[in-house]
Amino acid sequence: MAEISATGQPADMLDGYRRDAGLSHGDLWLRYFELGGMSNALELEAILYGALEPSPHDREVIAHALNERFVELGGNHPVPYTESDATKRRTRTAGRGSHRFAPPRSC
Amino acid sequence: MISRHSEARLRVQSRAVAPSVLSVAYRHLPRPLGGCPICCQLRYVVAIRLELDRAASGCDAEVTVPKDLFGQFAVTVGFVNARAVLAVRGEMDRVTAPELGAILDAVIERHRSVVLDLAELDFMNAWGLGVIAARASRLRRSGGTLTIRSPSAMVLRTLDITGVTELLGVELPDPARRRLGAEQSIEDADGLDGTEPHGLAQHVGKITAVPADPDVVDGVLRLVVALARASVGGADGVSVSLRRHGRLATVAASDQTISDMDASQYATGEGPCVDASVNGRWFHAESLDSETRWPAFTPRAQALGINAILSSPLLAEDRPVGALNIYSRTAMAFTPQDRELASVFAAEASSMLTSTGVDVTDEQLSSLRNAALETRRLIAQAEGVIMEREGIEADGAYSILCNYSRRSNRPFRERAEEVVASTQRPQLDPESGPRLGDDG
Repeated sequence: MAEISATGQPADMLDGYRRDAGLSHGDLWLRYFELGGMSNALELEAILYGALEPSPHDREVIAHALNERFVELGGNHPVPYTESDATKRRTRTAGRGSHRFAPPRSC
Repeated sequence: MISRHSEARLRVQSRAVAPSVLSVAYRHLPRPLGGCPICCQLRYVVAIRLELDRAASGCDAEVTVPKDLFGQFAVTVGFVNARAVLAVRGEMDRVTAPELGAILDAVIERHRSVVLDLAELDFMNAWGLGVIAARASRLRRSGGTLTIRSPSAMVLRTLDITGVTELLGVELPDPARRRLGAEQSIEDADGLDGTEPHGLAQHVGKITAVPADPDVVDGVLRLVVALARASVGGADGVSVSLRRHGRLATVAASDQTISDMDASQYATGEGPCVDASVNGRWFHAESLDSETRWPAFTPRAQALGINAILSSPLLAEDRPVGALNIYSRTAMAFTPQDRELASVFAAEASSMLTSTGVDVTDEQLSSLRNAALETRRLIAQAEGVIMEREGIEADGAYSILCNYSRRSNRPFRERAEEVVASTQRPQLDPESGPRLGDDG
């Protein structure tokens, strides 16, 4: 049974991407901060787990920080940049298994 | 004995607390919540608070973690008079210990006398140790007490070795009902006298994952020192040196003489401890009488009665960050088996240090932060340029940069650099210049 977060999404969807990207919470926060993120590390962690709803801008920065990591690993941009993108993607991929990008095991 | 049936019983399920409550609670909760699943911990904190509000005196609450997530781990919370009794069942490890920590945090807020009943605890590693030590210390500072009830022999020994028993009270069970942990027997526990080196190595293997809290790291290293002191045959003293704030420091030592030995090496800048910490390989001084590698340090060691030293490097992410030092008053004291055992302890300590990120020095962290700040500054400049040229707000300018980075598969920073550099030219390159609608 999937847990539902404050945003109405699976609670740890963003954190799932973080795990797939092979980043620690600290690593991701530093990348997020570098790209202009304004939340502190604890707030970012809460957003990743779905306990806090990010602003649209925050959501975009988090997505891009994760996507830059996926590009480093040879992937594309699997993390949706907006809530509407995420909803569309979930609808498209419903019943087709995981939507996540699987990075090389080297990470 | 705590009743498991109560009108105030509460089973915490994944949706027991509305998401909006979690968000509100999050904003008002004191830091820190630890590095584990926050929303999961919040549920317990919020649930326990609500339960405390509702529960009448003498009522119990039961908090059960879904079995598919945490095996048989469960905590039953009972309130008897002014005393809170938490009965822990199952295994307390990296996954489950933070859950107990969150529950303890909530209880400690309102109760100064807390009992942790470990009679049904099957296993506890350093995560559990850290949780108990931190809460015992906090309660003690606020004038309260944490009492451990019915710990297994192994748990009690672990708490004792690490000095945690000094922070709390212990209620031992009736000897006739004494219960050991699932993987320990009385014989195993007594085996800490050094006769079972392989068993000890397995024991150390269970303490490799702990939170990156310096106090907890130091506690685990003290445990490593105690175990190495007890198990390495020729050891008269053991210490762990770790590089912190750019300098080597002794974070755990079996006695003052050993601390002095380490200090002599830091002062002279030479010795097996220093070399192992710098070079990342082990150094063995079999007999200081014939030792020539450390002319300034060797006489100081001999003056303190030391005649043999074995230093094994501690590595985090394969980088040397310190050393496990074993000293003996007897020349040629360390056998090949002792050296192998020392390497096992050093490897386990290294694994723990790796998992806690100890390899990141202050200088490296500072460098990372400076680089991040520089990139932020660059991005802000690029946003300003685009805002002026396109007549849009900051978020729109950021999205333009973001879209370009996404379409070109190039880092955000590179695009920001191009935009800022373009201000040196008469106008942006029409082929690559950002425009509204560049949404890929």
